Amino acid sequence: MFGSHLLESTRRRFLQLSAAGVGTASLSGWLKALANNPAAAPTQRSRGRVKSVILLWMDGGPSHKDTFDLKPDSKGAGDFRPIATSVPGIEISEHLPQLAKWMHKGTIVRGMSSPEGAHARAKYNLHTGYREGQGGLSYPSIGSIVACEKGSPEASVPNFVSIGTRTYGSGFLGPKYQPLIVTSPSRGVEDLKATVSERQFDNRLGLLGEMEAAFRGQYKADVIVDHKTAYERAVQLMHSQEAKAFDISLEPSAAKSRYGSGNFADSVLMARRLVEVGVPFIEASLGGWDTHQDNWTKVKSNSQQVDAAMSALIADLNERGLLDSTLIIWMGEFGRTPHINTRGAKPGRDHYPKAWSLAMFGGGMAGGRVIGRTDKEGAIVEERKVAPVDFLATVCELMGIDHTRKNETPTGRPVQIVEKPNAFTQEIL
Amino acid sequence: MRRNRVLPIAALLVAVLLLAQTTETVAQTPKQVQQFKQKLRQQEVRKKLRELQKAKEAARKAKAQANEKTKAAEKAKAQANEKTKAAEKAKKKPTPEPESTPAPTALTFQPQVPAELTAIPEAQDAAAFAKRIDDQIDAALRNENITPSPICNDEEFLRRVYLDITGVIPTLEQTRKFLDSTDPQKRSLLIDELLADPHYGRHLADQWIPKLYPKESNNRFVLKEPLYNWFQNQFNQNTRWDQFVFDLVTATGTVEDNPAVTYYLANRSVDKLTDTVTQHFLGIQLQCAQCHNHPFTGWKQQEYWGMAAFFSRVVPQNPRNANRGGDNMKIGVTEGTTRTKLRDFFPEATMDVAAKFLGGPEPKIAPREPQRPVLASWMVAGDNPYFARAMVNRTWAQLFGRGFVNPIDDMHPDNPPSHPELLSDMARIFAGSGFDVKFLTKAICLTNTYQRSSRPTAGNENDDIYFSHMTMKVMIPEQLFDSVTRVAGPTLEAVAKNRQEKAQAGKRRPGNGARDQFVTFFLAGSEAASTTEYEAGIPQALRMMNSRLAGSPALARNIAGAFSKPETAIENLYLTTLSRRPTEAETARLTGYITQADNANTAYSDILWALVNSSEFTMVR
Repeated sequence: MFGSHLLESTRRRFLQLSAAGVGTASLSGWLKALANNPAAAPTQRSRGRVKSVILLWMDGGPSHKDTFDLKPDSKGAGDFRPIATSVPGIEISEHLPQLAKWMHKGTIVRGMSSPEGAHARAKYNLHTGYREGQGGLSYPSIGSIVACEKGSPEASVPNFVSIGTRTYGSGFLGPKYQPLIVTSPSRGVEDLKATVSERQFDNRLGLLGEMEAAFRGQYKADVIVDHKTAYERAVQLMHSQEAKAFDISLEPSAAKSRYGSGNFADSVLMARRLVEVGVPFIEASLGGWDTHQDNWTKVKSNSQQVDAAMSALIADLNERGLLDSTLIIWMGEFGRTPHINTRGAKPGRDHYPKAWSLAMFGGGMAGGRVIGRTDKEGAIVEERKVAPVDFLATVCELMGIDHTRKNETPTGRPVQIVEKPNAFTQEIL
Repeated sequence: MRRNRVLPIAALLVAVLLLAQTTETVAQTPKQVQQFKQKLRQQEVRKKLRELQKAKEAARKAKAQANEKTKAAEKAKAQANEKTKAAEKAKKKPTPEPESTPAPTALTFQPQVPAELTAIPEAQDAAAFAKRIDDQIDAALRNENITPSPICNDEEFLRRVYLDITGVIPTLEQTRKFLDSTDPQKRSLLIDELLADPHYGRHLADQWIPKLYPKESNNRFVLKEPLYNWFQNQFNQNTRWDQFVFDLVTATGTVEDNPAVTYYLANRSVDKLTDTVTQHFLGIQLQCAQCHNHPFTGWKQQEYWGMAAFFSRVVPQNPRNANRGGDNMKIGVTEGTTRTKLRDFFPEATMDVAAKFLGGPEPKIAPREPQRPVLASWMVAGDNPYFARAMVNRTWAQLFGRGFVNPIDDMHPDNPPSHPELLSDMARIFAGSGFDVKFLTKAICLTNTYQRSSRPTAGNENDDIYFSHMTMKVMIPEQLFDSVTRVAGPTLEAVAKNRQEKAQAGKRRPGNGARDQFVTFFLAGSEAASTTEYEAGIPQALRMMNSRLAGSPALARNIAGAFSKPETAIENLYLTTLSRRPTEAETARLTGYITQADNANTAYSDILWALVNSSEFTMVR
């Protein structure tokens, strides 16, 4: 599935890193893996094991120095203390205590560095790997890419579901790979229930079927068949057992309460239910991270929500044997300034795309790894800079998607899924 | 089809070579073979055409040289007039305008259509033009041995022409009136009537605005409505296309005074301007040449930046957040005398070269002279090699689902037209008519080719090149929304319209009204809908089935309920939704359905639901 050039480039990159003499945390993990099993080729076998991705989008840009990359001795350290995790040497925020216990299943990428510092443009860039407006095209988001590459066209549940948020869609790939948007997780999918009784709905479908057959018989156009397919899939979803995944009221209340309460908790719970019915990409979001003011109050409260929902999610997936095939991503559009601003009574931190963190759990990763390192202020990436394309390519590789493949735009332009990435897959498997 | 992975070019070439030599060794579908043969033929035709063209060119040059002198004299005169006018204007306005308000440029539009084109008789006579089109289409069909489908019936024609020209299905009354009329001229009369309907301009604006106003975060404060309304009005007033485009390309001033400047505000970089202008008005995809010489078309990077140079002095003002006091009606566009210093206006790949017409010469532009009018004059000239062809191809594609060249804005030598002579001929006549878009549309709608049934007949099912039968088109979301609200009746239609306008007026930001929301939902992220592919997915189908849009009992009663006889009710439901009368079989079947139902009104609502959800409703047949 992967061309030899890919292995080649990975090897080359390793040599480059070695030559540069960077034998620190992130790389040592990989070296250790090699050392343990010197005969094994760099874990090729583990690629493509991921069947589903849950993207937990931290809207507004979470402060890396107050979540996954604490710098207690820096000038702009802030109020929070780091705590130990299940992996010796890796510390995270004191407000993520339950998540800390799962660190051995997770990877922190502390080397994120991206080009956009305005919300909309940064979100676009992190979702698609391209700059907004680049080349006059509208690019597909990672969810649509996954739906297109790994989704089943016959699945009764759409291959890309976005819960509680409007997100970036399929761009030039077209509406087939658009997300199904669940506006409110407690209400479920809009329009999923018929407005009439089941019996009457069946009558209506019967009439429609007759009309369709007659029209198709006379006009024989492909578009009529496509219309039929879309309707059949929609009806199938309405009637399917899988559609119950959207109904979180069916979840036992004890299990539900572990996720916490509120929209985000409900979204994460629904995401787990959707993974169980095989949806390959689910996005759920938690807002309130744009903490220009009153940073610590807000980050603390957000962290508590994340801590409860994410640790419950990891535990549930683990219990069901789905953790290795499900990749959970925690990220926003950028980090926040390493220094604390001086505006207002309750200061905060401003946008900072130059150095920031994201976290990944499950996904068959070795776990307990850190990719990249920032300086003592958390201001500069000193080792293993990770660009948005590097990250997206890694997600693709974990899912077994060949990101060097080109999709064609409606006007026939070939566009590579991810352009010129430097993935870190080898370093985390 | 078009979203398939790209075959490596080399593999494609090998396949083509193999196919040319040993057809039997390569597994190809008959359709592919047919398409390939057609391509070969087209290439031969092109060669011959080129030779012919050369001979013609030489003759024309000699003539043009003679003309040139007279023209130059006229131009000098016109320019002299212009100066006097400007001087007079200056006198009237002794106080100079404040610096923040950009002043309009003095250079104005001059039609430049060669007399030989104006003299073509078909350029003044739509019926004759239609016949000229039919003759050439029919010749190609005979040549290919393809039998065309018969002329469509009145019901097919009515719904098709309403949707194609006005973007919405006819009302019950309009349907009855047309179907019951015995006037032999009724089709032609209806075309005229619809071209005069204000919905005509709206439908065209719906198709144009997404191309010229990209939906992106940079544009969140740029008002869309002024540009939309300007397009709508230009089309409705039938401004000649050369002037329309000239005015857009040279637009200067504030949004308030000249809404066309919105195009510049919504594309605030030189590459976006170059890409959109060449793509949409010249039918050429130049964007790849921004960073490298184009692999297929032969366009060089130099050529790209030569075109881009015409926009290098444009200064679009940055829109500001209206909530923080920005009035985005008051911002605008100027053209400076030096290269623009705006941030991000020039991309990294920029090459600073002299302004040069695409595939043409470098014009002499005085250092302080505005550059855009020079470009615009060249673009819209009657003998520009791209301009008229691009519009003819686009208009044809709007009506037939595909152009002579496809993709419609990707004209280059390796992507030849299906009907090369016809396209050139139509472009000349279109220019000769004074770039009259309504005239062009009318002529096409009058053709037998346009009026053919979309029902294929034996032997022409697989033809999607020669226009042997009408393409089944899928409604764009705007057509679907307007048609569904039209089914809902005049009252609800008015309510929807009113709400949309209020929402727009209130916030003056795109995407607020019910119509915008519906369109966004159905477009689901893509920029523009395709009319030849059914692209709606599960969420859209769910919305159509389960929102209150379709199958409301009250609505069904409205349409059908005033009649005691089921037959009449059924007929009304069909006329309202599908713009046709039900067949006998349909009437019999549905009468049975109604009589068996516990409640006739419930049964009507079921029928209405099925009709609105049917592919026949959502297609333009």
